[in-house]
Amino acid sequence: MKKLAREVCIIGVGMHKFGKFLDKSLKDLTRVAVWNAIHDAGIDAKQIEAAYFSNVLAGLITGQESIRGQVFLRDAGFEGLPIVNVEGACASGAIALREAMITVGAGVYDMVLAVGAEKLYLDDTARSIAAMAANTDVEFMAGLGFQFTGSYAMTLRKYMQQYGWTQEHFARVASKNKYNGSLNPYAQYQKPMSVEEILSSRVIAWPLTLYMCATMGDGAAAAIVCSQEMARKIGGKLPVTIATCCLRSGEVTGEDDGQRGIAREAYDTAGLGPPDIEVAEVHDAMAPGEMFRIEKLGFCRAEEMGQLIDQGYFSLTGKLPVNTSGGLAARGHPIGATGLAQIAELVWQLRGEAGARQVKGRNSLYPRVGLAQNSGGYVEGSPAALTVTILKRDVA
Amino acid sequence: MTDLPLREGLFHIPESPGDKPYLIGSRCRVCGYACFPGKSVCVRCRRDDTMAEIKLGPYATLETFTVMRVGPHDFPPPYVIGYVRMKEGAPVFTLITDCEPKDDALKLGQEMELVIGKIREDSRGNNVIGWKFKPAERQVT
Repeated sequence: MKKLAREVCIIGVGMHKFGKFLDKSLKDLTRVAVWNAIHDAGIDAKQIEAAYFSNVLAGLITGQESIRGQVFLRDAGFEGLPIVNVEGACASGAIALREAMITVGAGVYDMVLAVGAEKLYLDDTARSIAAMAANTDVEFMAGLGFQFTGSYAMTLRKYMQQYGWTQEHFARVASKNKYNGSLNPYAQYQKPMSVEEILSSRVIAWPLTLYMCATMGDGAAAAIVCSQEMARKIGGKLPVTIATCCLRSGEVTGEDDGQRGIAREAYDTAGLGPPDIEVAEVHDAMAPGEMFRIEKLGFCRAEEMGQLIDQGYFSLTGKLPVNTSGGLAARGHPIGATGLAQIAELVWQLRGEAGARQVKGRNSLYPRVGLAQNSGGYVEGSPAALTVTILKRDVA
Repeated sequence: MTDLPLREGLFHIPESPGDKPYLIGSRCRVCGYACFPGKSVCVRCRRDDTMAEIKLGPYATLETFTVMRVGPHDFPPPYVIGYVRMKEGAPVFTLITDCEPKDDALKLGQEMELVIGKIREDSRGNNVIGWKFKPAERQVT
């Protein structure tokens, strides 16, 4: 990716709590997240000039296809705007952010909304589960018994064999994230859970047990993206700069499935490296997946992983706190909202607004650089969409 | 009840006892990239004039597997899935058959053998015919 024509930052973020909300519609979820972001930014909502709307399964689950963003954002009070619908399975939220960044970075608009919303809980659970199959190549994978839990399980089994990772390590990671989620008022699951409870829950696809896995969820998350000049003029909360936001489809002929390549691209374009990252949100639809994301992002070698987990390296008080929000399995994973929920968490951490789960910075009171890794879907042995975003704040 | 292939042109169904099953994939004559299902464009070279059809199988190496303890309605658990790599180089996602649904039933790296047969029933009760792999019966020399 080339450098943008001008610097772009995030001036406000907002969420609707993740969870099970049978009495709420996608309109409700979207509206709450959008207006929380607007109030957080302290702007007049009329300043928003365009919107990117991320949602994955409303079409299949409810039949609301074609104009999802236009429908849900009209209810949130928006008319007369360019509204673009984006999707890329579980990475959709980050794709919405990236499109907003590019539009502002190119100078087309000064202020753009990125919002992701998803509602997976319905009266008819079977329909929601069946719809998840759309995140793969339906012609082959779905008809052959493919499931995302199985995909994570098979990847983890390879790491176990090669690098000595154990099911106990996996439970430790899941337990850490459940604890983080217990401190996050927006999380779907706010109950800490011991390593023993996680290990003794029923096996879903060995080595994964029930409490290591994300469930269905409802929720929404939003970010207000604007140019740096505009942010200065507004003079609200400390703006957080988007140092980079990279996107690519998965790979089948390269060194791996594309994750190492996109990590390098992100570090190169941001002018930063793994040692600069002080807090990270990574895509862990099954909590132990955090471990291979961390490894692919270059934070440590696969051989060191078990030891670092045992030392609490990735916990809230560790050297590199990961998934401070609770990650996908604890914060929840309403798929179209997940990417922007990661961004909201990083913005709160960088501003020192993360409450009981606030982490410290290495060189200042709060972290200055955070990374979000989001990925979605599955095509022929690699993720369909991969994203890496790096956010940084100026010295306050 | 009728036998219906998952899709035409994906594999060869043995017609006599000596006839071996195989998958129909493709390989790039420039870079060697091999894939299943076959493609007419090479993903590595991004060229549409280098791919040729090849037969894959029946032998492959097990790269990883797991036993699914939950499943969609047409796949009653437990069932075993895995990734194999064909001797010709193409990776294949597959159901695994002739194997106990135990978490330690197989060893990564072991030799597997292609089976063409029923993988599930469709909503009308037809047998959907596709590829599966079983632990290889031949002795590896």
